[in-house]
Amino acid sequence: MPYPAHVSDTAYCYDGSFTGFLCCVFESYTRREIPSAVLGPGEGQTTLFGLKSIPTDPAHAKRVADGLTRLGPMVKERVMIGFLSTEEEKDLILLRFVRCCFDKGPRAVQMLGDPDVSAAFALERSIRNEACHFTELLRFEERDGMLGAIIHPKNNVLPMLRGHFCSRLPDEDFLIFDATHGTALLRQHGRVQYLAMEHYNPASDADELNWQDLWKRFFHALTIEERRNAKAQMNHAPKRFWQDMTEMREPYAGL
Amino acid sequence: MDLAEKLEILADSAKYDVACTSSGVERAGKHGSLGSCAQAGICHAFTPDGRCVSLLKVLYSNACSYDCSYCVNRRSNDRPRATFTPQELAELTIGFYRRNYIEGLFLSSAVLGTPDRTMELMIEALRILREEFHFNGYIHAKTIPGADPLLVQRIGLLADRLSVNIELPSEVSLNQLAPDKKKTAILRPMGQIAVQSAQSKKELAVYKNAPAFAPAGQSTQMIIGATPETDRHIMDLTEGLYKKYALKRVFYSAYLPVVEDRRLPALNFQPPLLREHRLYQADWLLRYYGFHASELLTEEEPNFDPYLDPKCTWAVRHPAFFPVEVNTASKEELLRVPGIGPKSALRILAARRMQKLGMPELKRIGVVLKRAQYFITCNGHAPAHATRAEIAGALLDPKAFSVGVRQLSLDEFVPEALPDAAPAVHRLAAHGVAAPAAARMVREEALSCLTRRM
Repeated sequence: MPYPAHVSDTAYCYDGSFTGFLCCVFESYTRREIPSAVLGPGEGQTTLFGLKSIPTDPAHAKRVADGLTRLGPMVKERVMIGFLSTEEEKDLILLRFVRCCFDKGPRAVQMLGDPDVSAAFALERSIRNEACHFTELLRFEERDGMLGAIIHPKNNVLPMLRGHFCSRLPDEDFLIFDATHGTALLRQHGRVQYLAMEHYNPASDADELNWQDLWKRFFHALTIEERRNAKAQMNHAPKRFWQDMTEMREPYAGL
Repeated sequence: MDLAEKLEILADSAKYDVACTSSGVERAGKHGSLGSCAQAGICHAFTPDGRCVSLLKVLYSNACSYDCSYCVNRRSNDRPRATFTPQELAELTIGFYRRNYIEGLFLSSAVLGTPDRTMELMIEALRILREEFHFNGYIHAKTIPGADPLLVQRIGLLADRLSVNIELPSEVSLNQLAPDKKKTAILRPMGQIAVQSAQSKKELAVYKNAPAFAPAGQSTQMIIGATPETDRHIMDLTEGLYKKYALKRVFYSAYLPVVEDRRLPALNFQPPLLREHRLYQADWLLRYYGFHASELLTEEEPNFDPYLDPKCTWAVRHPAFFPVEVNTASKEELLRVPGIGPKSALRILAARRMQKLGMPELKRIGVVLKRAQYFITCNGHAPAHATRAEIAGALLDPKAFSVGVRQLSLDEFVPEALPDAAPAVHRLAAHGVAAPAAARMVREEALSCLTRRM
């Protein structure tokens, strides 16, 4: 059943949580309108639209969440993964996508020719791609029997890395520090928690430096000079990842 | 000799092996062991030559008793030699794996005495890794031609993927350049692996805990450009290998002169990187696009066009097949359109169930329209009109005319044809023509030639 709605000149303002976002969807249905913008906390000082602040109500959020579950895993996953994005427009893109799915049914997720659906698809894909880059290019360092890694992602990719690394290192304790957003994923004694963290400066360790040196020597021994192709290298491992990669961080002096 | 030095020597010796993939098997981690595998494979680093490092790619030993003339590790070549111990190799793999440097181990070896002895040492190293260190990640092992079938079976139960290099595309070349290797010694283990792998798959379908024999299948590689075979010969061989031995991949490696030999091209020979690229493109067409080798090349045209990718070449030769209507065409038909790949084709199929597709929809779906627009219709309308020369310009592969910049000193830059540009560009540049001018001249020539053909 389609729910007719027009784009109004209101901007929704919510607390930035996923529950809050679901309440924005709820509000958009009760007011029969699509907002011109959806703003998290701290955004929207400069907006020209009339601001409407949306209170977070768990009961409303649950109704929308149940609706998403009914639409199937693809829709729900796209919304939940898309929400990890740090793009400013993401809330509005996802709200329009959710409305489109409620109107047209679960198969709307395939309608990539539609502007709303393709925008949400692009959002999900960019986050999946970034997470995929980190499963490849993240580097652990061992300090005091514990593995630690520092990353500088654009989006909040930690929840996307959790499954991969917990499965890969089933009996290890590790910590992944997201330096851009000041959060960390800590796995200790088989339990996982997300922490807010300011700094992560583990002490230097001779054994660890030896491993890093071994890796760098291996990496440079593998290079075939006659085939040098810096562009291909940068296509696969973009420069913004290099700061956290052991073998790319400092220029190799040769040994 | 310390471990770092050994690693450097044995990695340097292994770097000419192309296969560095970790795909083909999906295995979740489990408590008590270390590691997991992902179906699509994961690359972990990219060297300055743009190739991926997915596995700890090393030789067990580079002290070879064979004398194959194309190989760096040939007996008569003067190089530092080293050999790992199984324990060292296992510790190295685990140390790198825990730090997320690698996806697993790629173990090959020079022939250390006899093929059987070499295989036994490799098996011991893999056994320690699997049984004592409980390593659950990816292992790619190379079988040594001429080793006993029982040893091949044992290594298959430890490794995820096996490979046997066929080295050169024909028996004549093999006899000439690698007199110690025989065609039968290469094909026999390949056949054995194909049979046992298929059998193990059947058993696994019935018994969950049946031992898995090379669950990620087998691959092979051959050297391109050292010997006079045509692309057609290579593609036919490739297709035969995929069909007969159910290979997962065939790798091609452009010949790099590493040793002086009168039977081989000279040391200043330019490696045929563009040809290698065309072969890979055609290989993809065989595996994912439903093409047959006989469609790609003919007796009159036994080599790939350096300026046009194989799919465009096919499209130019078959104008009657086009245009394809995106709203009704089958997946096979869509895959024949230059610019539409398996991903775009699937997205088009899914999207058109819900809506009619026009140009704006195709753009949003993410179809690359630069070439595709001249080969499709949307609801019966051709989305683009252009002259023959314009279409030819869109079809030409820019890679063949690529020019980069080389820095000579702090403020001195010289344009230079990239290594994978067409041979004609390199030839002109070698005769003193500036690289951008050479590329432009070759492109104009190719453009007028293609326009006439269309």
